[in-house]
Amino acid sequence: MATVSFQQASRIYPKSERPAVDSLDLEIADGEFLVLVGPSGCGKSTSLRMLAGLEEVDTGSIVIGDRDVTDSPPKERDIAMVFQNYALYPHMTVEENMGFALKLAGLSKDERATRVREAAKILDLEPYLSRRPKALSGGQRQRVAMGRAIVRNPQVFLMDEPLSNLDAKLRVQTRTQIAALQRRLGTTTVYVTHDQVEAMTMGDRVAVLKDGVLQQCDTPGVLYDRPANVFVAGFIGSPAMNLVTGDAVDGGVQVGSGMLPVPRDHLTRAAASNGKVTVGFRPETVRLVGPGEGLPVRVNVVEQLGSDAFLYTSLADAPDDVLHSADLVVRTEPRTPVAAGQQLWLGADRGALHVFDAQTQQRVD
Amino acid sequence: MATLAPPVTDTGRDTPPAAPTTRRRGHRGGSKAGKPGPVTYTLLTLVALVSIFPLYWTLVAGSHTNAEIAATPPPFLPNASLFDNFQAALEQAPIGKAILNSVLVAGSITVGTVLFCTLAGFAFAKLQFRGKGVLLGLVIGTMMVPTQLAVIPLFMMIAELQWVNQLQAVILPTLVSAFGVFFMRQYLISALPNELLEAGRVDGASTFRIFWSIVVPVARPAMAVLAMLTFLTAWNEFFWPLIALTTANPTVQVALAGLGSGYVPQRSVIMAGTLLGTLPVLIVFTILGKQIVGGIMQGAVKG
Amino acid sequence: MTIASGTVREAAIAAPPPRSAAPPARPRKRRQLTRNRWGYAYVAPFFLVFAAFSLYPFMYTAWVSLHETSLSNINGGTWVGLENYRDLLQSEFFWNATRNTFTIGILATVPQLCMALGLAHLLNYKLRGRTFFRTVMLMPYATSIAAATLVFSQLFGRDYGLINTMLEAVGLQAIDWEAGTVSSQVAIAVIVTWRWTGYNALIYLAAMQSIPGELYEAAEIDGASKWKQFLHVTIPSLRPTILFTIVVSTIGAVQLFGEPLLFAGNGTTSGGSSGQYQTLGLLMYQQGWSNFHIGQAATTAWAMFMIILVIVGVNAVIGRLRARADR
Repeated sequence: MATVSFQQASRIYPKSERPAVDSLDLEIADGEFLVLVGPSGCGKSTSLRMLAGLEEVDTGSIVIGDRDVTDSPPKERDIAMVFQNYALYPHMTVEENMGFALKLAGLSKDERATRVREAAKILDLEPYLSRRPKALSGGQRQRVAMGRAIVRNPQVFLMDEPLSNLDAKLRVQTRTQIAALQRRLGTTTVYVTHDQVEAMTMGDRVAVLKDGVLQQCDTPGVLYDRPANVFVAGFIGSPAMNLVTGDAVDGGVQVGSGMLPVPRDHLTRAAASNGKVTVGFRPETVRLVGPGEGLPVRVNVVEQLGSDAFLYTSLADAPDDVLHSADLVVRTEPRTPVAAGQQLWLGADRGALHVFDAQTQQRVD
Repeated sequence: MATLAPPVTDTGRDTPPAAPTTRRRGHRGGSKAGKPGPVTYTLLTLVALVSIFPLYWTLVAGSHTNAEIAATPPPFLPNASLFDNFQAALEQAPIGKAILNSVLVAGSITVGTVLFCTLAGFAFAKLQFRGKGVLLGLVIGTMMVPTQLAVIPLFMMIAELQWVNQLQAVILPTLVSAFGVFFMRQYLISALPNELLEAGRVDGASTFRIFWSIVVPVARPAMAVLAMLTFLTAWNEFFWPLIALTTANPTVQVALAGLGSGYVPQRSVIMAGTLLGTLPVLIVFTILGKQIVGGIMQGAVKG
Repeated sequence: MTIASGTVREAAIAAPPPRSAAPPARPRKRRQLTRNRWGYAYVAPFFLVFAAFSLYPFMYTAWVSLHETSLSNINGGTWVGLENYRDLLQSEFFWNATRNTFTIGILATVPQLCMALGLAHLLNYKLRGRTFFRTVMLMPYATSIAAATLVFSQLFGRDYGLINTMLEAVGLQAIDWEAGTVSSQVAIAVIVTWRWTGYNALIYLAAMQSIPGELYEAAEIDGASKWKQFLHVTIPSLRPTILFTIVVSTIGAVQLFGEPLLFAGNGTTSGGSSGQYQTLGLLMYQQGWSNFHIGQAATTAWAMFMIILVIVGVNAVIGRLRARADR
């Protein structure tokens, strides 16, 4: 077990202007489950591969425990990795796949067998030890890949989108199993995913990346309740947070013909740059208010989910086309008597508003 | 040189294939032109007959006496004189020795080519080193250099080494093949996901260990195809063996060339000899034909 | 934490990281993790053999072509500069061989590739006995040049050849295949075509099968007939493969040697009594190993290489122009 730290670590691919990972600073505690999340191309996989030793670190350094491993090859880092496509050796049986690293480390045959069996028991793989990967289901392959990592008892687990090749149902199941397994083993884990639900449900802390730059790293709760900037606000949560931009006026933000009341101190700070303010509010915090109050919207689609309902709306002044059909999303009680085409007025609890400077995109409170 | 590049661009250079198992070509029922009619079968049967007839005729002519094949109408079924003609052919040319030599030569060339080309093909497919592009260009470029351009210095070389009429003279120069390197490279680019090599590195394997324990097992199907094609090519190689060897210590092809050059060419004996020299390949082909067909088609898409 | 990456980097340089492992923008001379020297070790065996038995001979042939020298006195030749090349260009044997190489090349390549394309189309149907047909069509490819030529020279024989017997049976005149210029070249082209059609058909078939079925389905829905589909879906998709086979076949055609050498059955290097089917490959062999003029032979070899370069170059240009036209 060990801590992991990225210190101003950057990766700049040859012939590329922009760094794939830009001066990443990240401290991961011993035994922590840290999730790197972001849209594709944000540098999350590159960061993981830098930690694994599969990618150069151009500037800065990476430390595992108290050892600077910046220049060490993967085998000297005492890490194990679970790949997106599992990367199981196709010509080896499950047992050989799991024992390969141990064999290379010079462990005796008996010792190998014992440790492989132990891991296989935890992962419910015992009946399949003599099978080849080809003869396994997707979920079983995924477990073998996990098993290959845990038999080594490494200092750090690295997981690169390990669930993305599973179907939706199995993904949810395996998600909880991996989280439980990690808690049981207590091994420091860095987990990469593009799926914010996965990130929120699994991580002790979640680091959000965009364009190679770390946006925010905190617990799921803080990310949800206090996103540091507009990007994190829009990325975390499903359906996404509603974000509208308008001019700061007395008492609130003017958006088209409507107005959202915003506390004065937030307003002045947010408008400091250029007088524009971005306000965010989550679908579940929206209240339907009386005509003439709040934001006037047109309902485009009503989605009845049984437990609740979602209204997909656009601002009344917005052009009536597909592009704007889901600008603002509202979660309401199921079977709310609202129909498509209807006009509504939306308001939000003051306490639930997220206020950002429209120019710097940063949170102001 | 660009034209010698693969007709189908290599997939997987930028995006590794999804999973090791997905490289197999999926079922593409849609591309089939539908159900064939009797015309299709007739045409195909005709082509099959034309393909096989000269070989069948070798058997017919080789199993008759000279006088019998000259008859009108000519015979169309094999006859009893096959073994007499075999014997006569063996007296005229050392075909037995030639077959043994050819097995030795083609066998050594196959082992060498498969080994060296797998090593080099792996390096060109998956390793990064300075000058890689230039070296690969060199390999591909020489695929269009005619054999004729090399034989004169080669002949001088083997004369110097006193290798004329020795088997190593035909083995060594053919021990590697540019096509083989290219073929293995194309195969490994698409069949060997980078993740598999990275998994090996994370597991603690050295570069060499990765080659033996991961690359070679994955490359095995392509190695088998390359082995079959190399053996066939080496067995049928004609120009250089004709120069380097004499009929005293020939390969099959050199012996066959000598068979026709008697003063009174005996057609049935020549045909019996040809049959004898072609038989080993035909037997191999009958057994492995399906694999060879698959290999050529796979090579066409990959290389 | 700022969003614009520029600000972050500036900030990073301004304020050194808490645990100073290294200054941020230091030029690194560290162990390379992804690039390595192992590549050389893997290509070394190949390139050793390759350099000794291919690269070096290619170069040396150029050197020899600038000398007047013979097989018996290989290293003692005299420097003659480009004289061998001048002689070659003035030699009627060279022009005769070049002409024959081209006519046989066209006779052997064009019908062969057209037939291969048609054959591939037939093989692409859902056939019973698919493997059988494919395997049988590849049999000629497995047959050696020597064996194939010996058999065909029997079939094309003047007096008792099966083909003449057939011609006479249907009331036509027997042909002295070997003696005539056109007839001998056609016969040799037939041997080449017989050996290679099936092979090329398989190459085309493989390419056809990698065309996505959706393309045909889309064309079908758009109302294209089978023939239009072949013309507008199959052929364009096969274009790179077709170009590839053309290049490979012409390279083979320029080097044609075994078939004309053995066609008369007795291994003479003159290519018929009046050189009516002598090719460049055969001429080169004759110059070097019958007449022992190694220098001349080297010159011819280089001329062959030049011809191949021109053909490949023209094909490359055509391919590039087509690709540009498509864009």
